[in-house]
Amino acid sequence: MTAAPAITDVQAIVEQVWSSFLGEAEPLLPAPVAPGRAFPADDAWSAAVSISGGWDAAVTVELSTPLALSLTTTMLGLTADETAEGPLDADVADAVGELVNMIGGNIKSLMPGPSVLSLPAVAAGRAAHPSGAAEVARFDGVRAGQPVRVAVHVIPQP
Amino acid sequence: MKILVADDSKVMRQIVIRTLRQAGFGGHDVVEAENGRDCLEKVATESPDLVLSDWNMPEMNGIDCLAALRAQGSQVTFGFVTSEGSDEMRARAAAAGARFLIAKPFTAETFTEALAGVLV
Repeated sequence: MTAAPAITDVQAIVEQVWSSFLGEAEPLLPAPVAPGRAFPADDAWSAAVSISGGWDAAVTVELSTPLALSLTTTMLGLTADETAEGPLDADVADAVGELVNMIGGNIKSLMPGPSVLSLPAVAAGRAAHPSGAAEVARFDGVRAGQPVRVAVHVIPQP
Repeated sequence: MKILVADDSKVMRQIVIRTLRQAGFGGHDVVEAENGRDCLEKVATESPDLVLSDWNMPEMNGIDCLAALRAQGSQVTFGFVTSEGSDEMRARAAAAGARFLIAKPFTAETFTEALAGVLV
């Protein structure tokens, strides 16, 4: 049987990361999407980290572009004047990468080890997964109406 | 006192510096490093009193940086700020000579507790 984190643990980690760095003024609320349905935003950012060793998996985060921009300005502590033109792509990639790093690192800590956590890979666009990867846990949520998805994939070992 | 904040993420360096301020440690000089190698060089050139370092970084990771510092004879106070807070990682950090490990996500209270007795 493939080891998988409990969905309640994944949700707790996501909510803890969210409230610690983004505050609770705009809470992240669960918003389940039916299994197999696409992430509900065409314009999105995504990031992934892989975990390898005692447990082999990938953790991905997808979030709508408005949410990625909002996340970046909040994490950088930018003022209204500084955000007039929006954050730079490099800063959005940095913020979204750090988000998946924190979530992935905490999920890794729950699973069999020792394992190594990769550096994050970030893309402006949806996350795509190889056909051999099996999704073992997923959290769909919304913040201020904007969607975010955290998913855990494992590659079944032969 | 001087604090060296090492993290490949500019966003996270900003958050660490902001959290230091929120935890009541805003009066210290702060120097930044982008990876373990940069951190190693800046410990030599900047002589910080405390290093707050990420673990997982390109070029040189935090644990290798700490090992290199100790191999060079540096006894600078060193603490990790990392997304990996498992018992295994904490044990590795302590064995390498780290004073503490702050797991991300953290709060200002986490910093206050970890840095009590380290920063005055």
